[in-house]
Amino acid sequence: MAIAGDANLRCFPQPNPVDAVRWLPTVSSLRRFAAVAVHDPDSSSSAIEVHALNPGPNLLLRSSHAIPSRISALRFSPTPQKPLLAAAATSAGSLHLLSIDPLEGSIDSELSVGDIGFSTGAVADVDGQAEGREWVSVGEDGRVNLVVVGDGRLEWRRVFDSKGLVEYSAVRWASPAEFATGGLGFGLQWWDQRKPGGAVAHFKGNWARGNTVGMVHSIDIHPSRKHICVAGASSGTVFAWDLRWQHRPLLLSGVSTGDTVQPASESEVWEVRYDSHIQPSSVGTGPTRILPVMMCSEDGILAVLQQGEEPVELLAEPCAINGFDIDPQNPSDVICALEWEMIGILPRSKETSTAS
Amino acid sequence: MPGRASDPGNSLVPFSPEVRDPVVYPIRHGIKTPLFRVFVSWSHGNLLNVACLQASPPESNAAAGTAESEVNIGGKVVEVRLGDGDGEINEAQRRRIAYGSVPAFAMLQSRRNSLSMMSRMASSSFRNEWWRHVLEYSNQIKDLLGTPRLPSSSVIEDPKMVLQQIEEPTSLKVAWELMEIFYVDKQSSAWLPERLVDWLADYDCILAKTEPAIYSKLVNLQKKIVNIQVIEDDPEYWDGISSALAVGWLDVVVKLLRLHGSYQLDQLGNRETENGLVEAVAVLVSTMPRMRADVPTGKLGQCYKTKPDFVKAWEKWRGHITKLECSAFWVQCGHRQTREGLRNLLQIMLGNIKNLTTSTCHWMELYISHFLFIRPFSMGLEGMYSLAQKCMQLKPSSNSSGLIGVFMGILGGNTEVVLAECSKAFGPWMVAHAMELLMATDDHADILLHEERYNLGGISMEELYRLIYAQVLSSHPLTWQIAPTYLASCSKQGLGLLEVLLYRQSAHNYRVTLKNLEICRLYELENISECIMKIAGVYYWKHGRRGSGIHWLQQAHDEVRLNRIAQQLFDCIGKSISDDSFKQWEGLVELLGSEVGTAGGLEFLHKYRDFKRSLHLVHDKKAVDAARQTVESLVQLMRSPSTPRRFWLPLLHDSVHLLNWQGRPLLNVSETTLLLSKLQELSMAKLHPDFSDFDLPPQALATVRLALAKNLRQAILEES
Amino acid sequence: MERVVATLEKGAQCCGWSHGGRRLAVGHADGAVSVHDSSDPSTRASARWMAHTCGVINVVWIPPEFGDAIACVCADGALSLWDEIGQDAQAVTWKMCKFFEGTGSQVLDVQFGVSLTTLRMVAAYSDGHVKVYESMDPLELNKWQLQAEFQNVIDSVSRFGKPSCVSASIAWSPCRGENQQSSFVLGYNSDLSQFNSPKIWEFEEAHQRWVPVAELALPGDKGDRVHAVAWALNIGRPYEVVAVATCKGIAIWHVGLNPESDGRLSTEKVALLAGHDGEVWQLDWDMSGMTLASTGADGMVRLWQSNLNGVWHEQAALECNGVQH
Repeated sequence: MAIAGDANLRCFPQPNPVDAVRWLPTVSSLRRFAAVAVHDPDSSSSAIEVHALNPGPNLLLRSSHAIPSRISALRFSPTPQKPLLAAAATSAGSLHLLSIDPLEGSIDSELSVGDIGFSTGAVADVDGQAEGREWVSVGEDGRVNLVVVGDGRLEWRRVFDSKGLVEYSAVRWASPAEFATGGLGFGLQWWDQRKPGGAVAHFKGNWARGNTVGMVHSIDIHPSRKHICVAGASSGTVFAWDLRWQHRPLLLSGVSTGDTVQPASESEVWEVRYDSHIQPSSVGTGPTRILPVMMCSEDGILAVLQQGEEPVELLAEPCAINGFDIDPQNPSDVICALEWEMIGILPRSKETSTAS
Repeated sequence: MPGRASDPGNSLVPFSPEVRDPVVYPIRHGIKTPLFRVFVSWSHGNLLNVACLQASPPESNAAAGTAESEVNIGGKVVEVRLGDGDGEINEAQRRRIAYGSVPAFAMLQSRRNSLSMMSRMASSSFRNEWWRHVLEYSNQIKDLLGTPRLPSSSVIEDPKMVLQQIEEPTSLKVAWELMEIFYVDKQSSAWLPERLVDWLADYDCILAKTEPAIYSKLVNLQKKIVNIQVIEDDPEYWDGISSALAVGWLDVVVKLLRLHGSYQLDQLGNRETENGLVEAVAVLVSTMPRMRADVPTGKLGQCYKTKPDFVKAWEKWRGHITKLECSAFWVQCGHRQTREGLRNLLQIMLGNIKNLTTSTCHWMELYISHFLFIRPFSMGLEGMYSLAQKCMQLKPSSNSSGLIGVFMGILGGNTEVVLAECSKAFGPWMVAHAMELLMATDDHADILLHEERYNLGGISMEELYRLIYAQVLSSHPLTWQIAPTYLASCSKQGLGLLEVLLYRQSAHNYRVTLKNLEICRLYELENISECIMKIAGVYYWKHGRRGSGIHWLQQAHDEVRLNRIAQQLFDCIGKSISDDSFKQWEGLVELLGSEVGTAGGLEFLHKYRDFKRSLHLVHDKKAVDAARQTVESLVQLMRSPSTPRRFWLPLLHDSVHLLNWQGRPLLNVSETTLLLSKLQELSMAKLHPDFSDFDLPPQALATVRLALAKNLRQAILEES
Repeated sequence: MERVVATLEKGAQCCGWSHGGRRLAVGHADGAVSVHDSSDPSTRASARWMAHTCGVINVVWIPPEFGDAIACVCADGALSLWDEIGQDAQAVTWKMCKFFEGTGSQVLDVQFGVSLTTLRMVAAYSDGHVKVYESMDPLELNKWQLQAEFQNVIDSVSRFGKPSCVSASIAWSPCRGENQQSSFVLGYNSDLSQFNSPKIWEFEEAHQRWVPVAELALPGDKGDRVHAVAWALNIGRPYEVVAVATCKGIAIWHVGLNPESDGRLSTEKVALLAGHDGEVWQLDWDMSGMTLASTGADGMVRLWQSNLNGVWHEQAALECNGVQH
């Protein structure tokens, strides 16, 4: 266990545990904000907070908005706009859409949906289309719902209900009509709204060895390669699934029979993101090559993975890193949620942007 | 009360260290007494659930004069967290300290393990090395307890700013530092008195909160000097200087002296002698010989690392003081306050006990002043102890804080008292972490804390205190995850408690469950991880999340339950079920997979489904082809290793009418023999306890056997 | 130090916490049962239903490997088992999965233990009989088989009169190991002295029967009515610890791990703790087996510990009967 984390990591202790962190998509380069999902187990209260990041650096709480139950996922619509739209999914099965002023960092309004028809279990993940008008949510109850911002309220329709046979823990849009979901057994599903009735493609990884449940926790899809999704899962597994070669997943980290890629971690990979800060190494750049991916894990690792290369470890913390986000406008800056009630901000220098 | 212990030994904390009248905490539940019943249940760690149920009042009274809402209340359930420690540090801070001490503690343990592995031959070399590691550990912990005091960084100093306002240290930090001074830092043991002088600088701020102390005196003076014109006329000025000098805050003394009016340019001319005296004293103060490694920037005095050098310088310095004391210039000094004030300072520097006593407020200050001006050398603990007692008599203090208890325990050389006082004043965190300090250089403490005691269930005190701390950590959902680090360092009962702790975690949130499984993986607790997955699997299965249920049970290798699930699926086959249920069924068959050992995997269920379907086609006695096909799939099923043995009899029983086929036998000799041997195996296995019957008629086995025998006879005839 | 986690309705008369202490089941005088989740900040019950037509006097949770399920003992001596079930991810409900009618004698206490992978239930009846049932299904709790029936007496040959028992206390040995013998301790509060003293019963695989391996009473105290028993978790002690409450106080017993030559376990009474003014209602050990909590008719919760020298004493007390504001 490392005695202390990276010297560059700035830690900001919080009075309560941090469940998720996101950079606000910025509209002005002068103001930077981070949205944080917090939970107080003593009072069983949860909230979304917006913190301003000032030079120093320090974090200053700008606004806080109570959410009735613990937040399981927090996402922004990717387009910087005014107001910004963020969706928070909760473990009680509700979805909350917040509009946030990108200049003031204030949370202005909320729409929510949470009836029993919508969900009977925790909503595990949510993802929004570019403008934030349309969101897809998946849950532990095996329901996939499409949520659309209607006239002053949220409207939703059921895309699929597995009736408890399959559970979903991650979701990500690939295109206006397609999205990918993930769940148990290193499972990934590809959905096309134009083809209703179920997923159009399935994948189940066979890396499960010993006592691992092989759960996919996070998916990312790069806008330039919409046919590939990368997934972070149990046992330090990060893999890419290419729709064109559905039976040949590419392991970026983890252990499988036959083909072992040095795992960056051995425990749950909580989140994966394409890392736009790192320029992929010149060798073999092509449409088939997987772009650099950042991951964080239960054993405190934050690392960048590149196909066919050793993982580059950015952090090795003594506690779990439960989630992170790369600033879309300043991709050198990473914000992460640390298990020990801290927010960490890791600025990366320009030199690290080209992987060796 | 009878039965209460009379033995005054140390107790198991975390509530209090010694046997005495139990502390009684009132529980504020807000319901009317008398109570009908009180129920309790321990949750995690020291968390106690208490339910207070109200005795139901007679119906007539209930309605009269009570609010509707109160009438309907029958009881309250409260959660009580015991042994929480003191209020000096709030919850969030306490958790931060708990988190921060994990890496330091883990590192020290792993160092101990690797060092003791290497130096098993020479334990003396282990000792010589060890304290350095403990010192590093101690420094890491100290950083957590508060930011270190830094010398002023501003270039232009305000001359009137004599006292640096510092972040107030916590008594926890001060106590920690005290133990480090006495138990760990071997290197500076020769400079112990000077380390205590430094220590007092921190401690005095804390003392000042409850009692008169020099620190508060100086804070008041600081406020005053900004507004005073002729400072040297003010008795408080001289009082402050002498107090600061008595406890060795030389920089404060010199700064204050330089504020003396005689330094002002317009005064220099007519107060030359006076100024000369002030300056002479200031120089003497700032050149005071000190036996220590170095003097931090901004602090004054001249360092001497070895005793002979120091003694030489000390004698010389005292000579200078005596000379100044006898100087004729005093007569020429017209300002009475200055004359008296300065001579008082000289007396302090000469170690005049009377002057020291009047200049100090608290006995601890007086005690420290002894080390500066009377006995500047290290002495044995016994000597220090009796000196402390003497000082206490000279300046009795009404308030005896836990810290003083720790201090006296250290001087008394009694490890148990130190631990008990630490526990009482600072709680289980302190005890669990400070033990490392106590054992760093003290062999006696090492033996005492490592001795296994039958009364404690065969564990040592070290393990006990770690278990107690782990219990405290377990009491909170945010800190229980760091308890394993401490439990892993407990060789006898640590893993036992860890198993209980993990077993008691709720399985309702998969993220939490995965975090628990990660702990199981780290500590190789495979039994518990299977148990956790089993609990999760059953929970999901029963709560309608069948996919997850099967998945978790598979990971738990829970063949008993998977068999049962397979059996439930098995029961569905052949029955007329709706399309929706059939889809559900197929989905479950899919999920069950084919890898689950004997649990009746995919292959079997698919084959079985085909078999059942074709069996349905054989209703017509003339459908020979269909019958033949069905028998073929029956034989295949019976041959297949993926067919669980428990299904053999139902399979055969289902096919009895095929075995009894009118006309030519459907099975040849070898096939019949195979089925008979399977049947034989089955009847032997029936003795086995885990053999479980389906809802078959009791004579099923006999019927099948009879049919097979008949078939065999026919087949032999046919083939011969 | 304390916080209110649930408010109970009028008529609440018994409480049982789930294994991890996160869920609470409450039995009511009108036969209703409610379940409260402490993770839920609202103090309302998460479920409430009518379990019996007369008052519920005891609720006991079933080990978590068998789901979230409870047993309810009813004032008329009937016993019902309830299982929390959700179909196809629909909202969960509590369903009755088994009903044991109170025929002749009443069920006084019931406790569950797991041996190997089998769930066992011990029920103590008002006529001094003890019945051990085994669950026949690892997933559902609807099929039970009577595995053994005996009286809580050491001498099984002699004939005793029929006792009339007011209450019974059972505690399973909390060890959970694959090769652990399954055993429990049982004591009665009855008018027939032979039945009262707590006996440790152990299942003898070889002969498929339950045998008493220890009696937790000194010769002069055997007839003392037992109000409560509690078996401490053993995380590595070389002996087991069992607490027994009688009218004389709370006795702490050390019980040997392995049988002596006569097949009995060695026992030693290490402390007798008196503090409760009146009857002791309940005993509970913490998860390390180091602290014992007791409740009694004096409205106090008392916490007991042993010190470094093995001397037991009252460490702290919680006053529940105080003046309330």
